[in-house]
Amino acid sequence: MASSRDDFIIAIRSAFLKKSTQQKFSLLTLVFFSIFIILLSSFDLKAIRYVKIAINEIVYRSSFVVSIPENFIKNTFTEIKDYSTFFTDYKNNKEELNILRSSNISNEIIQVENKELKELINDYVSTSDKILAKIIVDQDSPFLKSIIINKGSKDDIKIGTNIFDQSYLVGRVIEVNYKTARVLLLSDLNSNVPVSIAPQNVQAIITGSGGRFGEIKYFKDGFEKVFDEKSIIYTSGTGGIFRSGIPIGKIINKSSETNDKFNIEFFSDFSQLKYVFAEVITRTNINEDIETETSLNEDVVKKPIETKLKILEDEIKIIEVSNLKFKEENESLKTDINNLNSKILNLENKIFSQKEEINQFNLDTKEVEFLKMNLYYGHKCRRSFFNSKGFTVGSDDYKKCVLNKGRKN
Amino acid sequence: MVSFKTKGPFFRLYSWLPILLLIISVLNEFNFNYLNLKYFSFNFPFILIFFFTLKEFKHFDYFFVFITGLINDTVVGLPLGISSLSYILICIATSYFRNITIRPSPIKDWFYFLFIISLINSINYSILTLFFSFELVLFDYLVNTFFTFLFYIVFVSIFKIYLKGLND
Repeated sequence: MASSRDDFIIAIRSAFLKKSTQQKFSLLTLVFFSIFIILLSSFDLKAIRYVKIAINEIVYRSSFVVSIPENFIKNTFTEIKDYSTFFTDYKNNKEELNILRSSNISNEIIQVENKELKELINDYVSTSDKILAKIIVDQDSPFLKSIIINKGSKDDIKIGTNIFDQSYLVGRVIEVNYKTARVLLLSDLNSNVPVSIAPQNVQAIITGSGGRFGEIKYFKDGFEKVFDEKSIIYTSGTGGIFRSGIPIGKIINKSSETNDKFNIEFFSDFSQLKYVFAEVITRTNINEDIETETSLNEDVVKKPIETKLKILEDEIKIIEVSNLKFKEENESLKTDINNLNSKILNLENKIFSQKEEINQFNLDTKEVEFLKMNLYYGHKCRRSFFNSKGFTVGSDDYKKCVLNKGRKN
Repeated sequence: MVSFKTKGPFFRLYSWLPILLLIISVLNEFNFNYLNLKYFSFNFPFILIFFFTLKEFKHFDYFFVFITGLINDTVVGLPLGISSLSYILICIATSYFRNITIRPSPIKDWFYFLFIISLINSINYSILTLFFSFELVLFDYLVNTFFTFLFYIVFVSIFKIYLKGLND
């Protein structure tokens, strides 16, 4: 019994402490190193932060380089798949583009109105620039869903910066390095986004499921019955982390009958992301110092006026664009009317000529009828030696007589 | 690492292959997750580290294992040191197992591997949820452990071919 315990202790000691000739460190040292690093990384010290940023920069770039062959294979596979559905996609896209073009102008007008109203409520104007960022690392970990983009603090990216795929929300920045940043995707379990569900106008929070879908959580009891598969989810802006009105996805189904969770299909396919947009927001106060008239100076006054002018200019631009569109529509309608008029004229001409033909035909028919009757009854009406009461051939009385099938006494 | 004074550069590269593969796999997250198969995921570094620290530990530097752990944490987005600790714990487990084993058997290795990865994943899960407030799905961890266990035997047969080449 004692010897087996000794063997166990010897084996443990050997495993932990014995450093073979080729090894630089014993395993126990490395365990302590690991624990030490875990503890250090949990402290938010400036020096540690810089070291972490440096490690991140190097590792992300290396990961990007190492992933090139695999990404190439993946992209080739996707491209081949895309080519097979190219024509159908093209037709669908064309139709969709036409619909979107028509709704785009009204959207722009609404956006300007929205901007103006927000300005009235919040007393500031948000000007946002969307920076195009490339995804350099997209390792689809089974536990954590995040991506690395090639923009960092150098490009004004901050923690919480909203990340978009076209106009759809993808996630937010959770870690910023000098030239790279980590984005927590909406599909991650740790992602919580306050949302509004339209058209029911229900406020809720959506979280990632760790898979391809999201889940609606924390909405008021009784609302689960009003959701349907046409319900659209967009950010509510509550909490100030995400801007309001960004489309996220739509409800697809209830995850199970027993609970009240709903699955969400995101508008953006996170597994196919190559480039994303990072929204860098700068807020400009417009009403500050208005009440304190003593500290009023020209620059402060200039700013709100300039901002309002800019908004008005934008509005004018949109109105001009819509006018242009209406003019174009007007022109095309005029052309259509002209074409239709010429068509009507052609048809009228055709009708006239057909009428003439019909009249001629009627006359001919009458003539034929008269000639036919003339053959039968002409001798009864023609003046002759034996028929002194007859009429002269060709006279109206003669014609009447023939049509009456002879003279009536 | 082993000294290759008498061996050529090709052999040196060949003997470094497991470490290189480990670094590439953590940088590239070689786990077929992009196939989007529901619930499917496995941990290739666990298999690689377990096998080579058990069978060919002289060619497998623990310090590099430690470094790859740090790289893995950076790529995946875990707190630094978590994966290093996991990998080093595997090294300790294999070192202990090597010391107590008189007659090695692949089946014994396989089930010992299951025990070790279950233990390490549990530690991993506990640290992340308790100390770092990560929200993780335990089921995903169980599935990952199961597939890692299944894939072990597949990769071992490939690694054995490599070892044969190294020893010849």
